[in-house]
Amino acid sequence: MSERNGGRFAASVLLLLKLRAVFVLLILLGAFSILATSFLTANNLSILAKHVSISAILAVGMTFVVISGGIDLSVGSVAGLAGMVAGWLLTIGVGGHRAGVVVAVLAALLVSCGVGLLNGLLVSRVGVAPFIATLGTLYMARGSALLISHGKTFPNLAGTAGGGSTSFAAIGQSFVLGIPLPVWLMVVIAVMASAVATRTPFGRHVYAVGGNERAARLAGIRVGRVKLLTYCFSSLCAGLVGLIIASQLESAHPATGESFELNAIAAVVLGGTSLMGGRGSVRGSLIGAFVIGVLADGLVMLGVSEFWQIVIKGLVIVLAVAVDQLQTKVEARILPAVLRGTAAGERA
Amino acid sequence: MRRVTAAICSGLVLLAGCHVRDTRRLIAVIVPSQDNPFFKAEADAAVARATELGYRVRVDAHEDDAYRQDNLIDAAIASNAAALILDNAGADASISAIRRAAKAGIAVFLIDREINATGIAKAQIVSDNDQGARLVATEFVRSLEGGRSAYAELLGRESDTNAQVRTKGFHAVLDQDAALTMVTAQSANWSQAEAFSKTETILQAHGDIRGIIAGNDTMALGAVAAVRSAGLKGIRIVGFDGSPDAVAAIEAGEMDATALQPAVLISRMAVDEADALLKTGSTGRPEVQVIPCDLVVKANAGEYANFEKRR
Repeated sequence: MSERNGGRFAASVLLLLKLRAVFVLLILLGAFSILATSFLTANNLSILAKHVSISAILAVGMTFVVISGGIDLSVGSVAGLAGMVAGWLLTIGVGGHRAGVVVAVLAALLVSCGVGLLNGLLVSRVGVAPFIATLGTLYMARGSALLISHGKTFPNLAGTAGGGSTSFAAIGQSFVLGIPLPVWLMVVIAVMASAVATRTPFGRHVYAVGGNERAARLAGIRVGRVKLLTYCFSSLCAGLVGLIIASQLESAHPATGESFELNAIAAVVLGGTSLMGGRGSVRGSLIGAFVIGVLADGLVMLGVSEFWQIVIKGLVIVLAVAVDQLQTKVEARILPAVLRGTAAGERA
Repeated sequence: MRRVTAAICSGLVLLAGCHVRDTRRLIAVIVPSQDNPFFKAEADAAVARATELGYRVRVDAHEDDAYRQDNLIDAAIASNAAALILDNAGADASISAIRRAAKAGIAVFLIDREINATGIAKAQIVSDNDQGARLVATEFVRSLEGGRSAYAELLGRESDTNAQVRTKGFHAVLDQDAALTMVTAQSANWSQAEAFSKTETILQAHGDIRGIIAGNDTMALGAVAAVRSAGLKGIRIVGFDGSPDAVAAIEAGEMDATALQPAVLISRMAVDEADALLKTGSTGRPEVQVIPCDLVVKANAGEYANFEKRR
């Protein structure tokens, strides 16, 4: 009897810990709704979601890399590079021929994917540690972004009606059913990624590679190919983010995306994905991105100083990881009790 | 294999033969970054003038990192530069490196940013950030056309001296006007993307805002994009720097004013004074030279391009 109750108690503690990001998000939403009158309005929530979509899309891509046991530091630079490639093709073009929006977007995504491919090859074929490989491509992509324009900004990407680039502004600025397009992109990517992670063999392979690479290899999983695909997907997400930002600002700046990788990693970790690999979820990263986004926008609404915003963001990240450790410990200690509890419940 | 080696060797010999010893004296130019139109215009102007005057030039960027600046100055000392044109990485953090360069016999000319010491550099030529900020703020008040008005301020990186001088200059004017109330001041770290998202949020929290005053043009342009995306009209936006993009936005009526820092003029002055010093032993000018900013508004926007007045 008491054992069964103990099991239930332990199970609910574990559930609370697992859903911590959701609770933090709800607490933040509640607090800001009370403190800032215009926080809980449809308009503000729509803008908030649009801001979150930037780090959320990066975080979703990053999730697969982290679950597979890697890390991708190059995403911010890739975002900057993608914007510059699109800006270059839209305003200057090759041999005096300015590209159309579709070509520019595809080329930018292709270049991003190329960086991902390079990351993947360095990690899986050459055997460079992910931290170092992607640090290298971080610099290479940033340098290339600067080289494209010799450091200048490409302005006026909205273009003129005759120039054929007016629809570029639509990527970051248009609405579908009253919701900003970047939010839709975030939702579609997250739903697809979540389905891939939980319902496809590839998804299981990613977890397996991150959980125990040797075992995965012995089980016949093509570890190198799995890693390659995770880096390509992460870079593709980063490229998309670069295009969204360039479209929102109607200009491409080579320094765009600096330190975005840190926001993405923070969102992934907040969402409960282990930096050691093998454990995590796309849904968690999405919630993590919302926690960071709500915190950032809410503090701006309240007029809190930039310095405090930075401190608070750091605190939340550290606390989240500390709770993550706690969860691991609780699991190790009470999992047997939980199992006994459910077994007893079934018997009764 | 032997043929390849022979080809490489003869290639190297040819290259060596082509390399004529460059006897021109070296001027090192160190600026904060080359991905910012302002610093780029500043560096380009210095290079153009120095080349014109018959110097060899090398340009580096310290990325606002005092340690990196230290290494770059060491490199300039090692390569026997005759003069150093420097937009420094910190009013206090740069002093020791500049002193080291001066001791090594390099004539140091500071542009754009001062240091908190005199007598080390041959000249400190800076634009008048305070005067520029007051100019912009006065135009901002005028554009709001009286009446009670709420406005927001976008600050530069708060650890940067220029960010502080500019906000002080803004408020020296704005705080005089009882009809104006600042609803919030947020740092957007000089960045366009950050200014965009923060302005969007600010517009949500404070729907009554009639103006946005920004510490530089990049942030002002971020605010322009946010106001456009919110579908709002008639919000007055002013910036600082006089970047070509901002001047274009002013011409298009999306921004109201900016203070143009005469970056090109300052770079040219620094090189000219370095040249004078190297040839005559004196710059002929006092050490600290403060150059006033120009106010750019729609009426005169056509006269300005790339941080200088068209001649």
